[in-house]
Amino acid sequence: MRTAMAAEQHGSMTLEKEARVLPSGEKEFFLDVHTQDMEVNFGPQHPATHGVMRILIRADGEIVTGAQPHLGYLHRCAEKIGESVEWLQYLPYTDRYDYLSAMNNNLGYSMAVEALMPGLEIPRRSHMIRTICAELNRIGSHLIAFGTYGLDIGAFTPFFYAFREREWIMSLFEKICGARLTYSFIRIGGVFNDAPPGWLQEIERFCDVFEEKWKEYVDLLVLNQIFVKRTANVGVIPKEMALDFGLTGPMLRGSGVDFDLRRDMPYSLYGEMVKQGVFDVVLGRGEKGTVGDCWDRTYCRVYEMIECIKIVRWCLDNIAPGPVLGDVPKVLRIPPGEAYVGIENPRGELGHYVVSDGGKIAVRVRVRGPSFTNVAILEEILPGALIADAIAIIGSTDVVIGETDR
Amino acid sequence: MEGGNAFLTLLQKLAPAGVPPWVLVLSAALVGIVVLIGLVSVFVMFSVWLERKVSGHIQCRYGPMYAGGWHGWAQSLADTVKLLAKEDLIPLGSDKPLFVLAPAIMLASIFGALAVMPLAPSLYFTNLNLGLFAILAMSSMTTIGVVMAGWASNSKWALYGSMREAAQVVAYEIPLGISLLVPLMVVGTFNLREASSQQAVWLGMHWVIFQNPFVIPAFVLFFIAALAETKRAPFDLPEAESELVAGFMTEYSGLRWSFFFLEEYAAMFLMSVVAAVFFLGGFESPLTHLARRSFGEGSAIHELVAAGTLLAKAMFGVFLMMWLRWTLPRVRIDQVMGMGYKYLTPLALVCVLGAGVWEAIF
Amino acid sequence: MNFEGIHDRLRVIRVPGLLGADLPRPPIPGEKHGKDKDPGRSGDPFVLVDPQRIVEFLHVCRDEDRLRFEVLVDLTATDPKAEDPNLWIGMNLLSIERRQRLAIKALLPKSELRMPSSTSIYRAAQWHERECAEMFGITFIGHPDPRHILLPDDWVGFPLRKDYVFPKEYHGISCE
Repeated sequence: MRTAMAAEQHGSMTLEKEARVLPSGEKEFFLDVHTQDMEVNFGPQHPATHGVMRILIRADGEIVTGAQPHLGYLHRCAEKIGESVEWLQYLPYTDRYDYLSAMNNNLGYSMAVEALMPGLEIPRRSHMIRTICAELNRIGSHLIAFGTYGLDIGAFTPFFYAFREREWIMSLFEKICGARLTYSFIRIGGVFNDAPPGWLQEIERFCDVFEEKWKEYVDLLVLNQIFVKRTANVGVIPKEMALDFGLTGPMLRGSGVDFDLRRDMPYSLYGEMVKQGVFDVVLGRGEKGTVGDCWDRTYCRVYEMIECIKIVRWCLDNIAPGPVLGDVPKVLRIPPGEAYVGIENPRGELGHYVVSDGGKIAVRVRVRGPSFTNVAILEEILPGALIADAIAIIGSTDVVIGETDR
Repeated sequence: MEGGNAFLTLLQKLAPAGVPPWVLVLSAALVGIVVLIGLVSVFVMFSVWLERKVSGHIQCRYGPMYAGGWHGWAQSLADTVKLLAKEDLIPLGSDKPLFVLAPAIMLASIFGALAVMPLAPSLYFTNLNLGLFAILAMSSMTTIGVVMAGWASNSKWALYGSMREAAQVVAYEIPLGISLLVPLMVVGTFNLREASSQQAVWLGMHWVIFQNPFVIPAFVLFFIAALAETKRAPFDLPEAESELVAGFMTEYSGLRWSFFFLEEYAAMFLMSVVAAVFFLGGFESPLTHLARRSFGEGSAIHELVAAGTLLAKAMFGVFLMMWLRWTLPRVRIDQVMGMGYKYLTPLALVCVLGAGVWEAIF
Repeated sequence: MNFEGIHDRLRVIRVPGLLGADLPRPPIPGEKHGKDKDPGRSGDPFVLVDPQRIVEFLHVCRDEDRLRFEVLVDLTATDPKAEDPNLWIGMNLLSIERRQRLAIKALLPKSELRMPSSTSIYRAAQWHERECAEMFGITFIGHPDPRHILLPDDWVGFPLRKDYVFPKEYHGISCE
């Protein structure tokens, strides 16, 4: 590939000076323009790679014939740090891998550590606050996914609309934990502190407003004819391929696989919600094209936001006063053992595999980021697409580079 | 009438006797060029500011608010100063002469096309009988600039952008030209001034678009083709910033980049002027009619009102283009080409046929 | 079907490579963490598998009618201690049909860090194995694309091993 790249520097089309001599002895003048595939470096600095991902694309004109993702530009050694700092000290690092859904990352890590602490009581109110925060964070994350996908497709305005609502979520989080992006709010054994006065009422107002504004998103972008034309039947991931590549989250549901960890392997309070039928799982049905195309994935994300609102409303209805942090000692010594806990992150299953030998520091903290596995499919589905489709496909994986590289 | 311009008449009145006529013609031409460039530049600066305000308000923002005080009116001025002061960068691997020439060609051709624009019955820069031809010919020259820029930059993204531009313009020149045949059949002249003046009856509302039912679809087709011709969203594929970084102007910066910018807005203005003249009554409106009735044909106020009317109509077209840009996603290259060849061209032909039959019958 | 059920099933059909199971201790009511000595390990139950026969094992897990683990969720390794003779290979399978997870553990001796690649069964393993290979120095035999994934191509050493020595400098940049 490197030699090919070097050859590229002389331009993609080489004009042979000599005319080709045909077997008959005639000189062929019209076939002397030779074309060859062009290798384009897509990223690490490119407006549509959502960070510093680099994809080496081999293209025949506008058609992609090969793609090779290169990761690691944002590798911050999260797993090595996990083996070097104390259990609770690692929590801020979890914020940093998928920085758009830091609450969910906190939750995943906390739940993995809690799985090693059998018998630890986690107060119900803290579960409620955890769920509210995680779901609001999911809305915020999907808003970014939706907005930046609009940008990828060439529509600017939905991005600003999405950020308008996300801003409110950010300020809600700021009120409860003081941070806007990296919260470290959900702790091992509960949450850091109780909701400030008026916070739950404000969330109620947010839900009312959001449900109205959400309709605008659907009209403005999701059902826009050009958007549908750009995304329907593009980047189709069949069900079998999705399972083979271990896709999770909206990528998997977009392919029509009915699986959501919140419903099918419930954790926290989701078991109760499933019994009461609080929320539905949104599936890609191929409404505008084929099941598993980019439009289905976007549809899943956008409609999932409304399901999140339902969950938040259920929590607001059922929340009761009480403690928010379990009986966790100041210096955590986690009992020896190993556990894998996967939770439903906005992008898919965020798994933490933690190993403890009974000490203050973990033996291993493995982070299974959903973006990491979701991006692996690009190699498979990009070839054959147009350059513009490639952007649409990359955008529809909703990749966060902080998580692929960790 | 051909060859003269509004300043020639003025200079002939003012000049002392004995000045040779060629001096007058030459100086009138020079004055015309300066006025045209000044007018268009001011207009571009205004539309850049307007675009930022329009996009801001569409996106629940304010847009520029600080430069100059009132709603950031001086933002474009500040930007111009910044762009002028930027370092002149030419990439090492680029084809230097072509790289430098490309923005110049684009600018020259767009100003050449704008020279045909009549502002008012006797306020014009040049009065060509084949004005529309000149506009179409000159404005498609900008493509050469784009292709040149893309090739000279020696960047793959730029090359992609310029190839897209070439394909797109070839596809959309056809429906653009054909859809303009429809109003041409109605007005019966290529001269923009005459076409405009013909629409003065009915209290200044005898616009082409009201004269023939086939002009309305032709106008829609023309507008779509003009969007593609001026590389505006949803047809901004040559620069498609989320796909091709910045397309053909990826490697440009500073003053040269601002030339591309100037060209884009000038092209929008040009297309809006053509739309105004050939579809929307040119400089004629009830207001112009009133001015003509009250102050007399050719009076200063009448001329000013006429020029204002034309500029307002052009502005409306430009605003429409902005509105679309900030609302719609971008189409894909195969969809652009398919739309141009498969739908717009046949529809434009149908409009021509229908309008011809209508004109023959009524 | 709970973990015991899966384990029994695996034993009954004589899955190649199955070595046994490891179960966590039951929770102790009123346990104070960090104070008492723990009597056993906590966490997930898992099956122990021979790493050299992992491909056959995964094949059965994926295709056996009553197992049907369609998704490989995670594949990773752990270095428990610098002096420990083995690396742990941990895998996590998921059955979407039955909503069931299965944790697999394989002990790979540090003296011979070679094992067959699972990419022929689950393509999801491809990137996970690349990461494992660069971080722990495991060679996955039959991997289609054994390049580094997160680390630079010229990185020396295997960072997640406990005996890893941090470099003093990287390409002339001091790391201290």
